[in-house]
Amino acid sequence: MKSITLKGRKVVPGRAKGEAVVSAEPISFIGGVDPLTGVVTEPGHPLEGVCLAGKVLVYPTGKGSTGGSYRIYDMAVHRTGPVAFVQLQSEPIATIGAIMGDMPVVDGLDRNPLEVIATGDTVEVDADRGLVIVTPKEGSPGIGAAGQGEKKCF
Amino acid sequence: MFLTDQEKRMLDGEMGYPIQKGMQIMTVLGESFGAERMVDVASSHMPGASIMLLGRAGMMFVEEMAAKGGQFRTFTTTNPTSCDDTLWEKLGISKEIVDLQTRLTAAYQKLGAITCATCTPYFIGNAPRLGEHAAWGESSAVVYANSVLGARTNREGGPTALASSLTGKAPAYGMHLTENRYGKLLIHVAWRLSGNFAYGALGYHVGAIAKQATPVFTGIPANVSFDELKALGSALATSGAVSLFHVVGVTPEAPTLEAAFGGKKPEATLEYTARDERAAGEHLNLEKSDHVDWVYLGCPHCSILEVRDIARALAGKKVHREVELWVNTSTAVRTLAQHMGYAKAIEEAGGMIVCDTCPAHTPTKEMAKKQGYRTLTTDSAKMAHYVAGEEGFPAHYGSTDKVITAAITKKWEG
Repeated sequence: MKSITLKGRKVVPGRAKGEAVVSAEPISFIGGVDPLTGVVTEPGHPLEGVCLAGKVLVYPTGKGSTGGSYRIYDMAVHRTGPVAFVQLQSEPIATIGAIMGDMPVVDGLDRNPLEVIATGDTVEVDADRGLVIVTPKEGSPGIGAAGQGEKKCF
Repeated sequence: MFLTDQEKRMLDGEMGYPIQKGMQIMTVLGESFGAERMVDVASSHMPGASIMLLGRAGMMFVEEMAAKGGQFRTFTTTNPTSCDDTLWEKLGISKEIVDLQTRLTAAYQKLGAITCATCTPYFIGNAPRLGEHAAWGESSAVVYANSVLGARTNREGGPTALASSLTGKAPAYGMHLTENRYGKLLIHVAWRLSGNFAYGALGYHVGAIAKQATPVFTGIPANVSFDELKALGSALATSGAVSLFHVVGVTPEAPTLEAAFGGKKPEATLEYTARDERAAGEHLNLEKSDHVDWVYLGCPHCSILEVRDIARALAGKKVHREVELWVNTSTAVRTLAQHMGYAKAIEEAGGMIVCDTCPAHTPTKEMAKKQGYRTLTTDSAKMAHYVAGEEGFPAHYGSTDKVITAAITKKWEG
């Protein structure tokens, strides 16, 4: 399938590639994600049970307490976290965690990534150039199918 | 956000990895709060100093910054740790926690911090001046720095305070800007308050109403002690998220009522009454029984004058043998208390001077179980609030005299 390129702003430099996990809801990394597995644990969250390890997380923004920054760093060290963040907005807690863990982050894209990217698409984040290159999954509806990701990765 | 050429070089990594990480953090923080530029920071106080709060990941990040050559560019002090180096075994804290704590403290020292392990760093010389920019964590210390010293700091978390220490910068928003430092609420104190309980109850009552707004007090006498202002500020930051208060005729940015409000009218005016004090006291005094086993003084950490007064109050008396009395302070103040003979007086009466930690930073539940503590009796609104909320310990809350009496009699006179 043909790839689509979105252009936005570099927040944390670096490049990474992975399968997209799309969430229409913000995520709290304290009490909301298991740092040992990378699985979302917040009850009732659209991504509950979905593993973020090695994925490109496409979401609106982080939420929750300041300890969340350390939690994301912890996931980066143990390789249980996303490899990159594509976000609508940069709030400090999660974004600072990504800085600490050297995880590339882009925001302010020219098209809404929650609509353009679907869970399962292959996404290449080139934060240095502010680019997000999306290759849709075969047979993908093309519209964000949040919560449809695989349930386990370990 | 505008960055100077030097700040751009920091962000581009020309001045090393730790400074680059710090500058990335400062930039993201600044942009999310709409800051237009950075300010130079000369003083920081690090809230993430206890391994209990920071966890292994937080410790590893601090170690990584130290290993990659980070050197603090500000006068940096550290908040309480998870244990007293000399008492941890007696207090029932595990060796594993002590070892991790030792690693974390060593990493901070390598980065250039003065690891004083106290929530009252202003007593050991970290005292930024009027109008000086700072990056402090620890809510009670933030309020003291802004209000009593007139320095300018937001309420920093662990990573942002660390980033400011590494870069010597902070984004100019919130408390750094003059227009955000004026009062919003006016509180008339109609009678003369005295001591930690009275000022703590005032702060606890007003903080809940103020939330993030800056209160301005009138009716507080010019000879109010720094300990009373410490009690007031710590309670304001417990029931609310207050960063700054003014006391007309006392604190440096409030020579007059007009100056405190920047010429504007208060958004609300309140009268603080004896009924409000009683309500705040009852709200925090959650322990129904008169049972006393753990008596706690020193939240925020005692000044030397508080230690002196406790020593005097205990002269010729004995703490009940089934009661543990903690007088909590920094190692620096304990050393001075030893020099002055206050430590000996407290220890001879059966009390214990505990340093470098506090029940909010130590594995309290685990420790209390081992020690057999069931209740906590304190003169601190902040401690009464947090032990009940975080540790599931109901508290007795009252004046310093009443608390010391309870340590002697093992009975709370409700």
